Amino acid sequence: MSAGVGVDLENLWIRFGDFVAVRDANVNINGGDFFSFLGPSGCGKTTILRAVSGFLDPSEGKVLIGGKDMRGIGPNKRPTALIFQNLALFPLMKVWENITFSLEIKGASTAERRKRADELLDMIALPGQGDKLPSELSGGQRQRVAIARALCAEPDVLLLDEPLSALDLKLRQHMRTELREIQQRVGITFIYITHDQGEALTMSDNIAVMRAGVIDQIADGKTIYNDPNTAFAASFVGENNVFRGKIKQVMGNEALISTNRSGDLVARISTANQGKLNEGDDAMMFIRPEAFAIAADGATGDHFVTARVNHEEFEGNVFNIFTEGDGGKEIKVSLPNLGQSFEDHTGQNITLEYETRNAVLVPAGELAAE
Amino acid sequence: MPGFLKEFFNRNGTSMGLAILGLVLFWTIGLIILPQLSMLDFSFRPNLPPPEIGGPKDVYTLENYKYLIYGPEGGSQSYNSVDLRVFFRTLLAAVCVTIFNLILCYPIAYYLGQSKGSHIRIFAIMLIIPYWINEILRAFALRIIFGETGVLNTLFMGLGIWDTPFDFIRNDIALYAGLGYAYILLMIFPMYNVIESLDGNQIEAARDLGAPWWRIHWRVVIPYAKPGISSGCTMVFMLSAGALAAPQILGGPSSLWFTQLIYQQFNDNNDWPQGAAYAIVLLVTCILFVLAMMRLFKVNMGDIGK
Amino acid sequence: MNNSFLRISIWVYLAIFFLYLLGPLVIMSVTAFNSSAFPRMTPWECLTFQWFGELFQDQRILNGIKNSLIIGAGTVVLSVAMGLAGALMLTQIWPKLRATYYTIIIAPILIPGVVLGISTLVFWDRINRMLGLGADSFLSNGIFLTVIGQSTFIASYCMLVLVARLQRYDIALTEAALDLGASHAQAFRKILLPFMRPAIASAAVLAFLASFENYNTTTFTFGEYPTLTIELAQKVRYGITPAISALAFIIVALTVFFALLNEAKLKRQELVAVARKKATVEELAGKIKLPSFFAGNMAAVLLVVFAVATITVVGTATAYNPGQCIANVKEQKRLEAEQRIQELRKQREEQRKKREAEAAEQGDAQQSAPKPSNNSGFGNVFAPNALGGDAEEESSDTETPPSNNGGFGGAFDPNSLQNDQ
Repeated sequence: MSAGVGVDLENLWIRFGDFVAVRDANVNINGGDFFSFLGPSGCGKTTILRAVSGFLDPSEGKVLIGGKDMRGIGPNKRPTALIFQNLALFPLMKVWENITFSLEIKGASTAERRKRADELLDMIALPGQGDKLPSELSGGQRQRVAIARALCAEPDVLLLDEPLSALDLKLRQHMRTELREIQQRVGITFIYITHDQGEALTMSDNIAVMRAGVIDQIADGKTIYNDPNTAFAASFVGENNVFRGKIKQVMGNEALISTNRSGDLVARISTANQGKLNEGDDAMMFIRPEAFAIAADGATGDHFVTARVNHEEFEGNVFNIFTEGDGGKEIKVSLPNLGQSFEDHTGQNITLEYETRNAVLVPAGELAAE
Repeated sequence: MPGFLKEFFNRNGTSMGLAILGLVLFWTIGLIILPQLSMLDFSFRPNLPPPEIGGPKDVYTLENYKYLIYGPEGGSQSYNSVDLRVFFRTLLAAVCVTIFNLILCYPIAYYLGQSKGSHIRIFAIMLIIPYWINEILRAFALRIIFGETGVLNTLFMGLGIWDTPFDFIRNDIALYAGLGYAYILLMIFPMYNVIESLDGNQIEAARDLGAPWWRIHWRVVIPYAKPGISSGCTMVFMLSAGALAAPQILGGPSSLWFTQLIYQQFNDNNDWPQGAAYAIVLLVTCILFVLAMMRLFKVNMGDIGK
Repeated sequence: MNNSFLRISIWVYLAIFFLYLLGPLVIMSVTAFNSSAFPRMTPWECLTFQWFGELFQDQRILNGIKNSLIIGAGTVVLSVAMGLAGALMLTQIWPKLRATYYTIIIAPILIPGVVLGISTLVFWDRINRMLGLGADSFLSNGIFLTVIGQSTFIASYCMLVLVARLQRYDIALTEAALDLGASHAQAFRKILLPFMRPAIASAAVLAFLASFENYNTTTFTFGEYPTLTIELAQKVRYGITPAISALAFIIVALTVFFALLNEAKLKRQELVAVARKKATVEELAGKIKLPSFFAGNMAAVLLVVFAVATITVVGTATAYNPGQCIANVKEQKRLEAEQRIQELRKQREEQRKKREAEAAEQGDAQQSAPKPSNNSGFGNVFAPNALGGDAEEESSDTETPPSNNGGFGGAFDPNSLQNDQ
């Protein structure tokens, strides 16, 4: 698998007039990886993809594919294939002609193209559908045709620009597994753009979290979820409760943060920020809803939070409690449904308990929009 | 600018980019801008035989324009009343033709735009077919109808409505009918395009609120269709003011059109600069008139041609 | 009640409108079959096809058609190319330049054709002189000038047609082709052009028709290559014959034919698309059952009716001989003329008698003047008089023998040629 071709971005800047779309991006993508860029729309992730595929030149810095600088090499000369957000299937060509377009360009014979189309149609589980027009296929089928068309070009790197965003939820979840399977079968590098953290977490070997042209963190899914670098990464990936405050005391890799409503709380400083946070700094502490437990009433200490319950909801597998919070937002607590009976606490104060390793401390920063 | 060009070539490739740019430049500069400028320049020059062009006599002069206003030097009249009268009559008649066409075509554009069904396509074909027939032949057809022994005279004399043939041609009725006929399509299609996109519910809503039909048109449809109406009117006005074939064929012996004067300067008098000056006057006046109308009715240039 | 009144007035209006629109064409077409030498519908004389024969013997018309076709082809190529380039430029031009650019490329539609013709003539004449070329150079060639002059504004029409389709083009398709290894030229040829094909076809047809019928611009630029329209204008201005009606009829018939053909084709494509949508995979893989050509296709049915009618008419034309009828009408006219002459003579006789009576009263010598009763001679005198008179209207009273076709057409040549200068 390591035989695949890697992609490196070095000090990449992309500007449109005065607007900076990508600011000093540095990424090393290993050959054969499934790598995702995750961020809200307008964060510059599609711009990075277009720079890799060759549709725009970086203002500064380099794009390297397989260690080779790509500057001045057009999209038709790069070993990449892009799957467009709207798929961009050629509407006037039949499915098999779409799939083997890259062979047509190379001057392959019709018989050869037909044969290759049949192989690829088998691979994407659409045997015998080659003579349809793209408009005669369903959304999921079109999706697979687009993948087959890109793979037919035998690229070293496959670039995918939110290809699942047009599908409905069920199909999207199904396609996630399918994409991952295809990637493992062909063994080439996939670079995947998405704003859906679920997609990124389930499929990727590594994820880059982007915000407004800046890459906040590059790591595997578990690390990003459990050990975010920034307030944005913490709040964008998965649900998270935020507590704002000032650092009162740093104790090695842990720190005490003083909050307005909940007093002093203890938290683990996230790995990237260890040694960088000092007493008196503004900071944010994040605790996942599922990391809370209900403690005995009146318990106090630096890992207890007492708050009034606003409302509760029953979701089947979990029971959610929403209380007044510290960060201007409510605190959400999710308790797994293990057959226990849930009391209704609405309007009462409850005390929540957490373990220090589940509370992550990062410098105060911009949160992801809801 | 170089940034724009660089992006343009990135997007289209060098060869395609050059082809596109070359064609566009040839069209805009070589066919549109330079010939007009050249004509403008030419209109300020005296009429010289070819060997003297570029010689000492080839100087800028206002003579050609003066001629339109004052007539030949030492002429008996203080103004060139013949040409000026033709000029203003042409403009006035073009306005009349435009108004006539607007009134004639608005209902059909509205009808086609708002009703559904397969007969609309048939109507559209019936509208387009006459437009595919040669302009000369269309004028010829009207001449058959309006002639002294034409269909209309035969019909009305047969019915006993009048007993001597009525001279439609000398009375310019044939001419106006022909000009109106020639540009029906140019009036209908812009209006149709806009009215078609008007949501029928708006009209329903207005009707529900008890508005009479004329008020629905006045307050809902016409304001919405304004871009289409103005582009239709602009085209019909410009084209009928610049028409040549219809006046030549359908105009009576005394009713000259301004374009016919231009034609005479070129072909009969062989005075190109004079003809160019007349053409400039026609073009500039028409443009100014249209711009003034557009300002009056608050329409944008960008709406024309949509 | 109000509603039905409105409905009736709409239909009355539509009837009047289409009568105005189509009536002239119908009447003109009908006159092509009347043997009257002046194109008219009433009085109906004889059904004849002679005007078609006359048309095809007219060298100037045939030459005009040839020139029109050459110029039309050149104009189609140049204006579709420029229109497509102009449309592509419009979709990607620097936003600040967009409005100015749009105004420039749309302006030729509004500039009077006369002005375009003059400016083309003046500009290329100047270029010609600057290059030191003679009056017979390529740049002052009538075909070149006409193609250039017409394309100036026809390209704008093409641009409007093309840009409407281009706006629905997804630029990602070109990018996808590039991404899959195509060069820019390949992406253009294999992706953009096929997508634009329907619009390009419409633009080409529009351009050809506009070129074919153009008069205002061409009249200044045609030089030694008069197009059909120019020839027609000369003929119509200096004398009209039903041969022009015959030409008009042919053009109307061709237009209707192609309109129906196009409509039938579109309708069929629609039906096929619907059938494909409904078809299952197996059907698609094998043969799908397509609806028969005529099912639900009004235009196709009309097309067949039209074709049958054409065959019938042509068949009749070859078999039919209006000679007898024409002779009858001729005879009748001769009789009428004779009658009129008799009346005239009677009047004169009476006047003369009156005068004689007066003279006799005054005792003058009597004079008897025998009148030659040579009718044919009188008729010959009559004809030139009528021609010399005001309108061509009365030339219908002139009997033009069908055998004298060439002479009739030729009679107008010198006149129109003089006017070419």
